[in-house]
Amino acid sequence: MALVGVSVSAARSAKPSRVVHAVTALGQGVRESISGVGQGARFVVDVIRATRDTSSWMPMFTLHARTLGVGSLPIGIFIAIFTGIVLALLASYSVGDIVPPYFVGTLVQKTVTLELAPVLTGLALAGRVGANIAAELGTMRVTEQIDALETLTFDPMSYLVVPRVLAATMMFPVVVGVAMLVGVTSGWLAAIGLLDVTTPQFLKGVRIFFVDFDVRYGLVKAASFGAAVALIGCRAGLTTSGGAQGVGRNATRAVVISAVMILVLDAFWAVVWLTGRTLR
Amino acid sequence: MSSERRTNDFLVGASVIIVTVVLIVTVLWVQQTDLGGKTRHVVVRTRDVGGVALGNPVVIRGVRAGQVEGIALGGRGWVVLKLAIDRGVSLPADPVVLLIAASLFGEWQVNVTDEKGLPPDRELRAALVEAHTTGDTLAGAVLPDIAQLTSVAGRIAGDVAKVSDRVQVAFDDKAAKELRESIRNFAQLSAELAKTVQAQSKNLDLISTDVRQGLQSVNAAADNLTRFSSRVDSSTSRGELQQIVSNSQSAARELMQATSALRKITDDVNGTQAKLSSAVSRADSVFTKMNSGQGTLGRMINDPRLYQNSDSLVSELRALVADVKKNPRRYINVRVF
Repeated sequence: MALVGVSVSAARSAKPSRVVHAVTALGQGVRESISGVGQGARFVVDVIRATRDTSSWMPMFTLHARTLGVGSLPIGIFIAIFTGIVLALLASYSVGDIVPPYFVGTLVQKTVTLELAPVLTGLALAGRVGANIAAELGTMRVTEQIDALETLTFDPMSYLVVPRVLAATMMFPVVVGVAMLVGVTSGWLAAIGLLDVTTPQFLKGVRIFFVDFDVRYGLVKAASFGAAVALIGCRAGLTTSGGAQGVGRNATRAVVISAVMILVLDAFWAVVWLTGRTLR
Repeated sequence: MSSERRTNDFLVGASVIIVTVVLIVTVLWVQQTDLGGKTRHVVVRTRDVGGVALGNPVVIRGVRAGQVEGIALGGRGWVVLKLAIDRGVSLPADPVVLLIAASLFGEWQVNVTDEKGLPPDRELRAALVEAHTTGDTLAGAVLPDIAQLTSVAGRIAGDVAKVSDRVQVAFDDKAAKELRESIRNFAQLSAELAKTVQAQSKNLDLISTDVRQGLQSVNAAADNLTRFSSRVDSSTSRGELQQIVSNSQSAARELMQATSALRKITDDVNGTQAKLSSAVSRADSVFTKMNSGQGTLGRMINDPRLYQNSDSLVSELRALVADVKKNPRRYINVRVF
């Protein structure tokens, strides 16, 4: 009987430990899954705080603006040229028989300005800028250059992150603005050269439903994409570990997360600004 | 400041400025913003704007002449539109504004027209009269857009569907059987008709021959008429008609003279008639007096004794003449010396 009593009490004492273990495991999983969000939020707060140290980031701002923005103009223009051409042909192919020809202009203008110029350029720059930042900062991290900066009392946030984030936030709209102009222009030329659409017809289509909100919407989206890409790239670079392999892994991760974040932000802005809104 | 940093600053600054300026200029160009004051403004009031939005074109006789620059709610249920119209464009006399759907795809336009350009829609005209003001504000009204028209068309289609349902109900098996029987009867009737036509075809041939002859006669008559016309033409061309006309003119002139002479004679006759009337009245008075036995002649007419005395006098005179003839010496003595 005594043995039986001992085994029952042991079983009773084992049951709560399994439950506690399961609950603990669940909590740990949840914490690990959302810790990235928390760390990211904390990172953003640190970046905002670091913007006060203007003497650290201001001298580096134009360097990064040139690297991330002016240097990205060719790829933005290249993408926009082909986007405009394809859109004009797609518009004619899809609805050319059921709508007047000037709707090619409307479709090209609306699609390029509202969606394709910001998103396609953002995705392209996510690869170029995000990978660039992540690889650069990751290399600095694994080669302990960042540690050296900290040793020299330089704040890595204000010296490395803030100028990149601000440069990307400011220069993405510039690149996207150029992409808008080039995209509509290439669509115009494609409509004239490849379709039976005249310049007055195309311009009528562009003007008929144009509102300046379209441009503002695209530029604001581009700025948010720039900030997101730069923040993700910087965080991926600063958290790099494991040598060159770690640099490559984090650069890839930065590009993937940036691309996903661009699409998420695109949907976010659409919900915020386009829900319940019509052309009138 | 290093030269590289200066280059960076310049490139970034130039990129930002150029892109910003180009974007702003492009947006203003696409929106056709009036920067040089090349437009004038016209205010329109209407009860509703339909689907009109900012930037929609203003059209005069089908030509774009400006755009909608403002839409605002006014007092007493009015909506006030502000139209920017090109300065070189003159509005029609007594202009009114129609807000109409420009196509099936949601485009609207503002059409400035005059009274003659209005469609014959009583409600539209009533709306324009209601919106009319004595000032510079133009009256506007919305024409029903395609959606409303299609909804009406949908209702009509629904009515047609109901009618077709009723027809379907009425067209049951019995009706189909009767229709089939009618078709069969019609087939028999047409066969009999064909036989009759075949039998009467000879008569029809004769009739057609007569008709042909009749047509030939008509053609001959037409030829005669043509010849007559040509003669008339030739006589006209030879001047005979001119002579006839001149003769007619001289005859008319003489007729006018004769008419004036006749008028004079008529005037004389009128005077003679008056005199005659006077004479008749006097004679009537004389005869009246004579009948009443007044005067010597009246007594002569009315007193028989005069006749009797005259008669006896004649008798005696006749006896005397006879006696004279018988015994002339008794009465006549011829003495010489």
